[in-house]
Amino acid sequence: MSEALLVLEDIRKNFGAIEALRGISFSIGKGEVVALLGDNGAGKSTLVKIISGGLEPTSGKMLFEGKEFLAKTPAEAKAAGIETVYQDLSLCTNVDVVANFFMGREITRKVLGIPVLDERAMETVVEKALASAGTRIPSLRSNVEHLSGGQRQAIELNRFVHWGGKLVLLDEPFAALGVDQTRRGLEMIRKVASQGIGVVIITHIMQQAFQVADRIVVIRHGVVAGDVARGKTSPDAVINMITGETLAGAGPAG
Amino acid sequence: MNPRTRRALEFVLDNLVWFMLIFVLAIFSLFIPNYFQLGIFANIIEASSVLGVMSIGLALVIIAGHMDLSVESVAALGAMAVGILFCSAGIGMGVQLHPQWLMVPVSLLVALSVGALVGSLNGYLIVQARMNAFIITLAAYIWVRGLVLAVSGGRSAQDLAPAIRWFGIQRLLGLPLTAWIAILCFVVFSLIMAKTPFGRHLVMIGGNETATFRAGIRVKRNLIIAFVLAGAIAGLAGWLLAIRTSGATANLGVGLLFNAFAAVVIGGVSLKGGVGSLPGVYAGVLLLSSINTAINLMGLPANFTQVIHGLLVLAAVMLDTFKQGIRQRLA
Repeated sequence: MSEALLVLEDIRKNFGAIEALRGISFSIGKGEVVALLGDNGAGKSTLVKIISGGLEPTSGKMLFEGKEFLAKTPAEAKAAGIETVYQDLSLCTNVDVVANFFMGREITRKVLGIPVLDERAMETVVEKALASAGTRIPSLRSNVEHLSGGQRQAIELNRFVHWGGKLVLLDEPFAALGVDQTRRGLEMIRKVASQGIGVVIITHIMQQAFQVADRIVVIRHGVVAGDVARGKTSPDAVINMITGETLAGAGPAG
Repeated sequence: MNPRTRRALEFVLDNLVWFMLIFVLAIFSLFIPNYFQLGIFANIIEASSVLGVMSIGLALVIIAGHMDLSVESVAALGAMAVGILFCSAGIGMGVQLHPQWLMVPVSLLVALSVGALVGSLNGYLIVQARMNAFIITLAAYIWVRGLVLAVSGGRSAQDLAPAIRWFGIQRLLGLPLTAWIAILCFVVFSLIMAKTPFGRHLVMIGGNETATFRAGIRVKRNLIIAFVLAGAIAGLAGWLLAIRTSGATANLGVGLLFNAFAAVVIGGVSLKGGVGSLPGVYAGVLLLSSINTAINLMGLPANFTQVIHGLLVLAAVMLDTFKQGIRQRLA
């Protein structure tokens, strides 16, 4: 396995009396794609929120690039190089494509010392990014509310590909995509990983996990029920891990 | 549809309230004798300066997805603070500063800080303590007005210092300086909303607060600034109000809040947040003011004004729904 990018050690999260996460430990290497699987309510989304700064863990430790790391806000995680694509889309539908692409990172130029949005520069960047990903949107200046679900998800995916960072978390990124767009999305993930960026992808679709992931981590009832290299397991074995019928193939990877 | 007609149609939709204003002014000019005069138009702009300034602050907060009912009372408190300090009759203390012009920045600062103070309290309670904006600012609407009554004892201050009054008397191109201040405010804040990251962030927060938080925008900070700005702008409206009436009474500006809401809604700002622009709001303010003027000129009883304003708000909301429908078909 390549050098560890993010190491999770015994992450726990309680919501009142409910233990959502009961000691999660695993690691993600640079340039590695990890598929995070698990039944509804297993704690996948909670885990993603903890890594991306949306939630604070009750206890446990995270090491990011070898240093202890805890993001209190998404802004901190972003500054450290962690990008997240959420299940429910994180777009502001009341503004245009360009504004969404640059949300929180607008290009500005100073006019009399005041930062002013540089719309033209931003539009050029978005045009290039979308074109290279093969996404077609009629007008970058139309508000996102007028776009289809697939186009919206394409914007989000292109956004993370463009900003890159060091680690990308994808929570059900293909839920609204068609067959062709999903294929392109999976290709995008491989491309991103080949640049040395770590990728965690949550998905329900076994086929997608096996198509794209180097390693498969299964979470069940808030603990890691399996952590295996893709080549050493099969969809059936993974389903058994998810439902808890057997622990076949469980144990650390490699 | 070819791109050019599409763009033209979008332009009309974006600026619909301006077209309405021009239409209404044209109709009035044609059918009401004596309406078509420069003096009348100047009067329309002049009469809308206080309401206009107040509407800016209200619009900022509503675009960011919140609500500020306190702007009217805050303006009254700002006016009363200026009145008590710089009026020489009634309850005015008649504070004199030398040189005279020094009273202008000092009184302005007093009004702005009174407003900003109430605004920051509102902002803190709503954003940090996560209380409901409607209730918090309703409470402020009541207690700030109460404070105005309490400090004035129900009496009024008259005879504002001439140095400050000067802004209401001195004219530039036929308009008093107070009106120019309102116009300047609209220009400045329109630019802030359209061209700066801060304005862009406010619009996006109003659209989808979770998304902006996840994108790393400092949502709380931006929202608190919006509330402080709304308060300070209301304070400025109070300052203009004090100049206009050359003093302050305990019930100064009562009812302005509803006109401000009407102007904001007519101007195309959605109460759901995230939608609207300040030039539209200014057109809304001017539209209300031109209708008032028409009612005056026709000699209708002023009691009808409210009925017409109410119907206008209804029409604005219906028009907005209609606009949404067209846009959907455009996309």
